[in-house]
Amino acid sequence: MAEQTKKRRPVKAGYFTVPENPAEPPRLLGTRCEDCGEHFFPKRAVCAKCLSERTTEAPLGPGGTLYSYTFVHFPLFGSMKMEHVGYGVGQIDLPEGPRVQVPLAGKQEEFSVGMPLVAELEAIREEGDTEVVILRFKPTAAAGGAR
Amino acid sequence: MRKTKLHDVAVLGVGMHPFGMFPDSSNADMGRIAGLAAMKDAGVSFRDVDAAYVAQIFAPVMTGVRVMKEFGLTGLPVQRLDNASATGSAAFFEACHAVSSGRYDLVMVLGFDKMTSMIQETSMNTDPAYLEDSILPAGFFAMWATRRMHERGTKPEHLAKIAAKNWNNGALNPMSQRRPDKTISPEKILSSKMIAWPLTAMMSCPIGDGAACAIVGRADMAKKLRPDRPVVRVLASDLQSERYERGHLFMGPVVGPARMTVDTSSAVYEGAGLGPKDLDLVQVHDAFVIEELEYYELLGLCGRGEAEACIERGDFERGGRVPVSTDGGLVARGHPGGPTGLAQIWETTLQLRGEAGPRQLERARTGLCHMMGGGSVCAISVLQRD
Ligand SMILES: [Zn+2]
Repeated sequence: MAEQTKKRRPVKAGYFTVPENPAEPPRLLGTRCEDCGEHFFPKRAVCAKCLSERTTEAPLGPGGTLYSYTFVHFPLFGSMKMEHVGYGVGQIDLPEGPRVQVPLAGKQEEFSVGMPLVAELEAIREEGDTEVVILRFKPTAAAGGAR
Repeated sequence: MRKTKLHDVAVLGVGMHPFGMFPDSSNADMGRIAGLAAMKDAGVSFRDVDAAYVAQIFAPVMTGVRVMKEFGLTGLPVQRLDNASATGSAAFFEACHAVSSGRYDLVMVLGFDKMTSMIQETSMNTDPAYLEDSILPAGFFAMWATRRMHERGTKPEHLAKIAAKNWNNGALNPMSQRRPDKTISPEKILSSKMIAWPLTAMMSCPIGDGAACAIVGRADMAKKLRPDRPVVRVLASDLQSERYERGHLFMGPVVGPARMTVDTSSAVYEGAGLGPKDLDLVQVHDAFVIEELEYYELLGLCGRGEAEACIERGDFERGGRVPVSTDGGLVARGHPGGPTGLAQIWETTLQLRGEAGPRQLERARTGLCHMMGGGSVCAISVLQRD
């Protein structure tokens, strides 16, 4: 069903992309070291592996592998949305190397260690005609279908 | 080059204000009670104190030096130190090395905090703009547990057994925040409220207030001040921050790689000239019991993958091979912040002197105190009775 798409902006600039096309998954914004090739998230000026200062921005993901996860029985950011009470968080290994900790989309039964995940954006509030979005990961297989 | 070995450093005295909820007590009230108790225990007056390190996390600017005025105004240097949960341990580390280097003869290390008021302030401020705020400490350590269960087949029952041990140890400690009047069973731990799967409320430390103090000085002074009791030396002390390795978490983690505990304990064992097999008792950063399980292995109290079998055998209980968290640990005794690491020194010192009352272990000559601080750091000290 076609729905008018609101403008979207990241809750904090510089950490992930917000594609024009809502069907396109976001990417994490990290750093690549020009000297040793190591990747980092979030962005950093000095390489943590070889201490080089020759680093450049690099988009990471959007896929990843679940290293570990939990479901926390507190509300997320004081959100009143039922989905955010008992919310999931995971540690996800990105294919480029970094491990990130982010919220998970879905129910506990849907997750298991080692499974493939993909990043998505989730609106946490609206400001006028703009949705403020966070980045989270969901099981790759569960793609498609509005909630 | 950094050295962990200490030369002729002893714990001269220890004192505490109980951990718990004390809405009517200020940091100054609690700090004064703990500090006066420690000086009395050491047999010294505030005039004998060459310098003070104040361990506090959340109190406002100036609090350290202002609380120290409770004892008198003698012109001594006062420094405030913060290293998250490891604050008290970090201050103790600095004091021990200051005495070892000859800079001071006698130093007061005073820790206090009111975590109750702190939590109220910070939880109001959780904002998704701080992307890290979605990962609470409970969630972070729950992910340790999920991974461990995946790799080693650990069961929630193993975690519950550690928690029950610590609650029941806390029952014997007059300074403990949680002092159950009935024996706590693993079943009761498992049936308490789920915080972050698989961790329940009773597997997690409470928030609270409290204060603790240690007087650190030259070992020869210990003999002169209190010839009636054995000298408790600090053999080695170290504090390390993170080393980078692939998969390092730069955002949200409460503490960094497991390797920090391995590296820091190795350095301390080397400095102390002993190994994990020489330890009679151990205190660890058991803010969540999955941590205690991991630290058994990371400190070398057992081999990799052996923790579950050791828990089943009761190796780390009172009367077991190496009792751990003998005062109740963070889970029962409590974790107000600044004083927490000094409560470990209080417990270890009393045990080594044979003054731990109903908690006294039969064999207690050498003890280790381990704390993690968010950000993150690992602080470890080894104490031994002459
Ligand atoms: Zn590099």
